[in-house]
Amino acid sequence: MQGITKRQLLIAGAALGGLTASSRSGAQDMSAHERELYEAAKREGEITWYSGQYSAETSEAIGRAFTERYPEVRCNVVRSTSQVAFQRLSQDARAGVAQCDVFSSTNSGHFQLLKRQSRLLQFRPQNADGMLESIRNADPDNFFHTSFLGLFQLACNSQKVSEDEAPKSWTDLLDPKWRNQLAVGHPGFSGAIGVWAVQMRKMYGWDYFKKLEKNKPQIGRSSQDPVTLLNAGERSVGVAVPAATVLLSISRGNPLRLIYPTEGVLATIAPSGIIRNAPHPNAAKLFMEFQTGPHMTPVLLRYFADPLRPGSPPPEGAKPLDQIKLLAPSIEEQEKGVPEVRELWRDTFGV
Amino acid sequence: MSRLVLRGLTKAYGKLTVVDGVDLTLAAGEFVSLLGPSGCGKTTTLRMLAGFVEPTAGSIELDGKVISAPGLVMPPERRQMSMIFQSYAIWPNMTVAENVAFGLKLRKLPAEEVRRRLWEILEVVQLGHLAERYPAELSGGQQQRVALARAIVVKPAVLLLDEPLSNLDASLREEMRFEIRRLHDEFRITTVYVTHDQAEAMATSDRIAVMNAGRIEQVDAPHLLYTRPKTRFVAGFIGRTNLVEARLEGSEIGFDGCRMQMGQINGVPQGGSRPILLSIRPQSIGLHRVRPAGGEGRPVTPGTVVQRVFLGESWDYVVMPQGSGLRLRVTAPPLQVHEVGEAVWLEFDPRQMALVE
Amino acid sequence: MNDTAAALPKPVAGQAEGRRGGLLRRLRYVEPVTLLWLLLVLVLLFLVAAPLLKLFSVSFQAQETGTFTLSNYATAYGRARYLDALVNSLTLGLASAAIAVLLAVPMAWAVSRTDMPGKGFTWAVVLGAFIMPPYLGAVGWILLAGPNSGFVNRFWQWLTSSEGTLFNVYSFEGLALVIALHSFPLVFIFVKAALDLVSSEMEDAANILGAGTWTAMRKVTLPLVWPSILGSFIIVFLETIALFGTPAILGIPARINVVTTQLWQFFEYPVRVEVAAAYAMPLLLVTIGLIAVQKLLLARKGFVSQTGKGGERRMIRLGPWRWAMFGWCALVGALSVAMPLLVLLQASFAKAWGRGISLDNLTLRNYHLLIFEHEMAMTSIWNTIWFSAAAATAAVLIALLVAYIVNRRLMPFGEVLGFLAMAPFVIPGIVMAIGFYAAYASPPLALYGTAALIIFAFTARFLPIAYANSSAAIRAVHPEMEEAARILGSGRLQAVSRITAPLLRKALLGGWLIVFIVASRELSAAIFLVGPRTRTMAVLLYDLSEAGNFEVLAAFGGLLLLITLVLVGIGMKLVGRDFMLRRM
Repeated sequence: MQGITKRQLLIAGAALGGLTASSRSGAQDMSAHERELYEAAKREGEITWYSGQYSAETSEAIGRAFTERYPEVRCNVVRSTSQVAFQRLSQDARAGVAQCDVFSSTNSGHFQLLKRQSRLLQFRPQNADGMLESIRNADPDNFFHTSFLGLFQLACNSQKVSEDEAPKSWTDLLDPKWRNQLAVGHPGFSGAIGVWAVQMRKMYGWDYFKKLEKNKPQIGRSSQDPVTLLNAGERSVGVAVPAATVLLSISRGNPLRLIYPTEGVLATIAPSGIIRNAPHPNAAKLFMEFQTGPHMTPVLLRYFADPLRPGSPPPEGAKPLDQIKLLAPSIEEQEKGVPEVRELWRDTFGV
Repeated sequence: MSRLVLRGLTKAYGKLTVVDGVDLTLAAGEFVSLLGPSGCGKTTTLRMLAGFVEPTAGSIELDGKVISAPGLVMPPERRQMSMIFQSYAIWPNMTVAENVAFGLKLRKLPAEEVRRRLWEILEVVQLGHLAERYPAELSGGQQQRVALARAIVVKPAVLLLDEPLSNLDASLREEMRFEIRRLHDEFRITTVYVTHDQAEAMATSDRIAVMNAGRIEQVDAPHLLYTRPKTRFVAGFIGRTNLVEARLEGSEIGFDGCRMQMGQINGVPQGGSRPILLSIRPQSIGLHRVRPAGGEGRPVTPGTVVQRVFLGESWDYVVMPQGSGLRLRVTAPPLQVHEVGEAVWLEFDPRQMALVE
Repeated sequence: MNDTAAALPKPVAGQAEGRRGGLLRRLRYVEPVTLLWLLLVLVLLFLVAAPLLKLFSVSFQAQETGTFTLSNYATAYGRARYLDALVNSLTLGLASAAIAVLLAVPMAWAVSRTDMPGKGFTWAVVLGAFIMPPYLGAVGWILLAGPNSGFVNRFWQWLTSSEGTLFNVYSFEGLALVIALHSFPLVFIFVKAALDLVSSEMEDAANILGAGTWTAMRKVTLPLVWPSILGSFIIVFLETIALFGTPAILGIPARINVVTTQLWQFFEYPVRVEVAAAYAMPLLLVTIGLIAVQKLLLARKGFVSQTGKGGERRMIRLGPWRWAMFGWCALVGALSVAMPLLVLLQASFAKAWGRGISLDNLTLRNYHLLIFEHEMAMTSIWNTIWFSAAAATAAVLIALLVAYIVNRRLMPFGEVLGFLAMAPFVIPGIVMAIGFYAAYASPPLALYGTAALIIFAFTARFLPIAYANSSAAIRAVHPEMEEAARILGSGRLQAVSRITAPLLRKALLGGWLIVFIVASRELSAAIFLVGPRTRTMAVLLYDLSEAGNFEVLAAFGGLLLLITLVLVGIGMKLVGRDFMLRRM
């Protein structure tokens, strides 16, 4: 995923203001394809979205923006951590009940699995072509498409940790001085933490986590949980926290600082897919168009998330993507690795 | 015409038979008491009459139609009966008027008719002024009257009463006995009255069925039950009595030196020579200082006073006839005073004796 | 009397049809209650027996093929971590129950038997702790006793000028205490009810022989109510091992895995209901074992009668000690209600709760987000209200009918109905939920994600509360009340609806409200059964807690408490002040 270039990011940069305005203007700016989908979706009336990608607040805002643009299609946002979202999807499947239309997870491995089990609907949103080039073809067979580009890195409470003291790299965290100071999510819940653990294992072996355990990090469930702990001053350093949540928190006056580890930040480029037996297939297609299209971008920017389409500046307070070294395991590594590290994690950390 | 007929009515819970082959016939308008000690099966019999309990064997007929038989019990609500319960079962969430009018409204009578009959019956039981009260605001006696009014106002085919007075104090109980009889005399409802109090049964009933251990021992008018008990149990249960073992020899009955012609005694079976049991009421034995004439076949025998108790209305003596182990209880008027140890003469009246099984 | 018999139908038996087959005659007199009895049997089989049997059978089935296997048990107990979770649950249950007894018994004694001041206040404390959902209390205690940021610890650091931690909520002790702080009301209710029945003469007899107040309490009074202490200990134990929310919120940071969180893991992909079922069996065994132990321990000695009337009671004069007792009640009140509630309230109006109370930290955003922006929040409130109302109505109705049939001995084997209705009492809610998932989630019924599934599960789960309540109420109505109506011509059902039901109205309303309130905060029975549109407030709170967003969480908890308080207020108005706390 190191292939995102500065050039791509700068394409059509000035178009942002126009996009914000047009997102509210409704039906008149719809393409024929979009209008056709909307008409079909209206008859279905709603779409149910299981998501573990954006934060709860952002997800709700995306759902609201969707319904604002398509007033007769209600969006049921079922936001949880990615593993829990996948658990719900699995429970549905096990019970033989179709409830979910669009599924979004930070663990791309989920989609490989779903695709192999023929549980995804083949569909290519027309808007996918307008996304950043490097992410516009998540699946050559078009069973899923990128809907999330999240950076997971380090953050600290700036009142407790000075710039000099702060950890600079992932391995710095193993220093005993961070004992009882760290906070991290759980790969049994958070998809991103699972991907992060796969990446760390790839780089440093599982020993990394055995050493990390000695520093007694506080384990939450979501990757965002540490941000709350930092805000409260409960812990000083957040491990593998989503940049967007940290930046949003800073914007609300919390004393946090984002840290870019020297080895690189974890880039979770994660997709969404339509479930094959989706009860509202047309609404699901419309939602996929929305996620890949231009009208989600303003919402993402409002919540400091990285936009998926070229032409927008990076979220306020974040480095541009082209100045960052990005780390990410391959989709195959994710599918195979996450269940492994989840078990290893439970053995090492006891929960 | 017989209104209610019980034939071989039996109720058993597992091996325990609580009502055992009861036969009883009530004429229309008759008032019959079921009298007996607790556990004798009288309440179970009543509840079978009401339809709350299904008989194990036998049947109950009302106006010639079977209403209860094993596996065939007409539910209580279709029997046109009414009942007064030991606890009164006045509904505390309804006023007196609502309680009393309940049955009338169920019969879907016109409102005018309900009102008329309600006020009529409230006047009869003297509760007119309390119509809008709630039961909690009434005394025990008033609640009893509500229960009576509620049961009678629907003019039931049969009225059932289950120990209705047992929760009242003594003086009120006496008053209510007459009240119940007065209402019966007024309305002539066929009535079955369950009680363990013989005075209550005697004051109210046309006939009394004495029950013991699930069976009816005897059914008779109150005065006949007293004077002519047919069984040892009835003789002992109704009033006090001396049960004396005697012997029947041909046409003569003898005990402890007394001899009587059996023709003089109530209900003697024919002939033979065998031991029999006599019930001799304490009031029927005369006590004399000198030997009485003993006319009209009244046997006399000497004895000794061994114990005495003064009860106010009478003396209660225990006298032992000479040369016998018998201890006879004898009742005498207050002025007839004998000392313990005094020799006396006993005089028996065969007409007041009964031969019991 | 011949003009009488008014409009009642004539007796019909033995007429023309008397000669026709016995069946027809019999049918004429079949009471509706027989059909009702059959219906209830079916309902109870559906709600209680079938899910449990399914759970049991599925634990022996191979996932794909459904053939008989023991491998689920091998998997469920094949790892040290899974066994650790079992041990953790049992230890936690014992610890919480012990703490709850320690907290509540002195309070119960003080309220029931002494002249301690502030008894109304103590009632309020118990009521408050009772209606506070346990997971909300857990969040409150995170804010209070997070090792570095908790208000209690920061105060302690300020007081001692140290870096030390007074109390770390992320620990076994923390977990046990937080659970106990919300389950002690059960102990209080049971023990106080028993103490109310101890005659003062019992204590007088000990006093005259030379025992002081404390000795008399220890040697005479408390031993007399031992069954209620033991019984409530067992209930708290069972509640604790079945609790999901608190261990999920506190246990993961504390690194403590328990049975319920482990069960949750078995529902991760691939969903292993079979293994979960096998893993749930020890909970059932432990429960059955505990009930047996209780029977054994109480077999011989005489104790305070649980039903009879108590003798005369005089309040023991404690002198200055009464303020010590009051202090204890106040302390428990502060720990269980006042402190968590205050910090939750603060957090719900805060931008960042850790920044404390200041003007620039005040915001209505959290409430605004929930009420106007969060698509699911309002729906979940509505779901909660109507699921709970439906479950409460169904539970009270079923319980009333069963209790009626059992108490009036209308049917042979009525006790079987009563047993079925009480059975869920000893089945952990989460186990019940897995049984419901296994039995009804899939086709043919395919109830997964429907409101019906959750309502059924709630109904079954809280049937025992409703049953105990209805049974006590029915016993208080003399059967002759109905018989009087029947003999006057009303059918059985009419008699029940016209006479019995109005007499029971208050008691039933009280029972309804209790079921409503406990259902409205139920998490463990709901977590496996909700669909996207059927999430309840408890489930949404749990989802919100994943990301640790305590400000929004606190605001949502505040809304839940507000709804509960309104209902409790209505209950007190209609049924009487102590309706929640009467011994069931």
